[in-house]
Amino acid sequence: MIDPEVIVIGGGPAGIAAAIEVAGCGYAVEVVEQRDSLGGAIHRQPIKGVAPISQASGPKARWRALSDDFASARIPVRYRSIFLGVDADGLVLFENRLACSVERLQAKAVIVATGAVEKVLPRPGWHMAKVSTAGGLQVMMKETGRAPKGRVLLAGNGPLLIAVTAQMARLGNPPVAIVEAGDPLGRTGAGFSMLGHMSLVREAFGYLRTIYLRGIPWMRASQLTAIERDDTSLIAVVRRANGREQRIPVDRIGLHDGIRPNDFALPNEKATSVAGPVILRAGDCRESLGAFAAEADGRRAGRAVAEILSGGHERADLGCVKIERARRAQEVLSTLFAPVGGACPISSLPADTILCRCEGKTVGDLRSLCERADRLTGREIKHNGRFAMGLCQGRFCAANTAALMAEIWPQAPAPVAEDLTGRRWPIRPVSIAALTGARATSTEHE
Amino acid sequence: MTSRAFGWMGQCIPFRDGETVASALETAGVYTLGADALGQETRYFCGIGACQCCLVRIDGVVREACITPARSEMTVETMEVRRD
Ligand code: FES
Repeated sequence: MIDPEVIVIGGGPAGIAAAIEVAGCGYAVEVVEQRDSLGGAIHRQPIKGVAPISQASGPKARWRALSDDFASARIPVRYRSIFLGVDADGLVLFENRLACSVERLQAKAVIVATGAVEKVLPRPGWHMAKVSTAGGLQVMMKETGRAPKGRVLLAGNGPLLIAVTAQMARLGNPPVAIVEAGDPLGRTGAGFSMLGHMSLVREAFGYLRTIYLRGIPWMRASQLTAIERDDTSLIAVVRRANGREQRIPVDRIGLHDGIRPNDFALPNEKATSVAGPVILRAGDCRESLGAFAAEADGRRAGRAVAEILSGGHERADLGCVKIERARRAQEVLSTLFAPVGGACPISSLPADTILCRCEGKTVGDLRSLCERADRLTGREIKHNGRFAMGLCQGRFCAANTAALMAEIWPQAPAPVAEDLTGRRWPIRPVSIAALTGARATSTEHE
Repeated sequence: MTSRAFGWMGQCIPFRDGETVASALETAGVYTLGADALGQETRYFCGIGACQCCLVRIDGVVREACITPARSEMTVETMEVRRD
């Protein structure tokens, strides 16, 4: 096996589309994928013998066309391989989980397509067992063809909650309720602008129809304010639109407050192959706009890489129409689903609410750090307070920590998640033994 | 569909071909994957290898249960089980 000229990280729609474009321009390309099948979280494939979960017909057909193109391009995939970063010599490092080793590849270009992560706002009890993200429940459903068992409550904000609800209902266990911070039915203005995006309207209508027919309570303008538990159940504490509090005993909770790029600790973009490979990002890890835009953005990145490698310059205008359209659709959706009464301030949470789960750091811990006379920077909050220092590298806490810092110091320039996370590889924890044993793979696979 | 099993803390966990360790455990009613280094309970959370809340030891090696396919020869343990 010879080293590929281009490496694509991630086998979701963006990565697959990018690889197809690069191969079509005559470059040798390989895809690095952490799981043992392609599709990403959005097109997670069911296990053997399980029927694929029902999906809107448009996205399904697009994925089929894309994976057919990919198969006929005969692009090699390194499955079960985790991207770690690009080292100082410009080598691309990844952990081969089958061989239990870290391997290095020399490439002229890297396209990073690591997708999105869900935003999850902190609430007392969110860190307990049986609480997952709604997307986490959804990928497990796609994989196993089974809905999560028992009484399930979905809570947070955004259209994914109703999509997961409809899928659970079709698999025979609808959630006991959906707690939604927004009130999309109450925002007629934004509702009309939705009409410009008919495929989204059709998809949403399909979900709402299922929810209505099954009589699933869609509690809008409501918040899940805390999760408690007794001997047998989790207790979801919900504040309804009328201000009343309701306590709902459940077995499982799925949280979701939107999505954001999974761009933590990724190498910076670099549009030249001088001193190390070209590095471009594609799809949701660049801007989280969903699968449709991800595919278009993957094609853009693939063509841009081919263009740069052939001595040309990256052209900013490549294929932006679809992305622009998806961006407008996302804007309409976020207006439609905007939390009623604005976002709940994190500073109003009880002091012992976990903010950073990996390190067990609380809202109170951050408050006392911030109350010190010498004002700490984001990096200092990380190093002195261990916020965003843990194994998830801030994926689930950096934005919330930055938001709380901004609430505590309203006059200071607002910190962003990146102030806390930085840009250091490895982007995923890896054992020192595996790392020091890193080897060039081209000699291994001959 | 062949049904096979792996070992989890003295228990036998059946799984279906291609299934991840996390989903087999969930089907078997195992919702907490033991305590982490700080003593907090761990669990399946994001399902995409991002949160690192589902770490377990598989044949002694630390792995995310949510992205690791189950195999019948495996021994899966909580993180507290030390082998040094
Ligand atoms: S559940 Fe998040 S990494 Fe496995």
